[in-house]
Amino acid sequence: MQRFLNILALFKEYVALVLLVIISLILLGANDNVQVRAIRSSTIGVVGFFQRALAVIPNVFELKKENEILRQLNVNLSDEVNRLREARLENIRLRNLLGLREQHPLGLLAGDVVGKSLHLLRNTITVNLGESDGVKADMPIISEGGLVGRILLSSRHYAIGQLVLNKDFRASAKIQRSRVDGIIAWDGEDFLRLNNVAKTQDVRPGDVVMTSEYSNIYPPNIEIGIVTKVTEKPGNLFKEIEVSPSVDFSSLEQIFVVTASSDTERDDLERKAVRTR
Amino acid sequence: MTRQIKFFLLSVLFVLIQSQIMRLLTLEGITPDILTIWVVYLALREGQLAGTLWGFSLGLMFDLVTGSFIGLSALSKTVAGFVAGYFFNENKTALTLGSYRFIVIVLITSLIHNTIYFFVFTQGSGIGLLAAIFQVGLATTFYTATITLLPMFAFSRRRSV
Repeated sequence: MQRFLNILALFKEYVALVLLVIISLILLGANDNVQVRAIRSSTIGVVGFFQRALAVIPNVFELKKENEILRQLNVNLSDEVNRLREARLENIRLRNLLGLREQHPLGLLAGDVVGKSLHLLRNTITVNLGESDGVKADMPIISEGGLVGRILLSSRHYAIGQLVLNKDFRASAKIQRSRVDGIIAWDGEDFLRLNNVAKTQDVRPGDVVMTSEYSNIYPPNIEIGIVTKVTEKPGNLFKEIEVSPSVDFSSLEQIFVVTASSDTERDDLERKAVRTR
Repeated sequence: MTRQIKFFLLSVLFVLIQSQIMRLLTLEGITPDILTIWVVYLALREGQLAGTLWGFSLGLMFDLVTGSFIGLSALSKTVAGFVAGYFFNENKTALTLGSYRFIVIVLITSLIHNTIYFFVFTQGSGIGLLAAIFQVGLATTFYTATITLLPMFAFSRRRSV
């Protein structure tokens, strides 16, 4: 310490000069005028030049820290990408639903699937729409893919829908290309079957099957599925037509209930005709 | 101690003269700097450390009185006092003050002082540093050196008496 003080005493003029110059520079820096701003700017330029020159020497600790920050950033960005991807898919799905709604002049009620059974012979879904929304039995259920089924039962706020994949499901259907009619039903396995189509009728794999005008439950021209296989067995008057459903029931989340499809005048007339017979 | 108080009171007086009266002696925008003469005098009489400390104090006082650019005169006069202190010789103080040496020291010190002053002052102002030093700095230096003739003759006379 004494040696240090001796050195200070020996160079006291220089020490005083350095200290007073530093104090003067601090006082200068406290000003906010064009000169000080220019000096600050020049100083930053000089410091930047030296920093850039020294940047070629890698700093191991800084690199490690930077690496950690980048890893963290990478994780955050990956998470964000996943969320954006999810949002994009949801956006596509909702756009499709919106497009479907615009295509159909029929009254449509949008609802969510809150329950589902797909591995029984009589598969159903539960939707969060009920009588308070105007939902009644026999109202058709559709989605952006096509026909889903019809309402079986409804309570105040919920309804049970019979799916196309149900042993009790039947609907009048037609081939879009050749206008051939038939009855669509589920075979209890992976496919639907278009029945009552004579061997002479024109049906080919790839044909689109749609609801026909003959149904008094389902509105016409709603896609049901695509013909995947057509077979003709000897001794059988009809073709065996396998149809793959257009709706992916396993990922079904949103549906529409068609509220104003049936023609009541037509229904009444048909009922009267049955009674007359 | 009494001498330091005397120096302080004279310093205050010179600061007031420089800030209030010297503008009356302005020629073509050039004003002589009697504070630099005073700092050189103090450095030649009291030594380099005292010259440096008085340079800083005088400069700061002048900055505070004028309020224009706090720290600029303090910086330039600190260095001026330090430089003038190099010419300090305890045994030849009267000889130096009463001869042309005093003027030469004021010239050198004033030139360094003005170079530092205008180096900072011209930053970002659009005025060229060399133009400022040659047109204003040198003129101020020579004007200040000319004014130094007065104290030099006074010291010379005192020495001969």
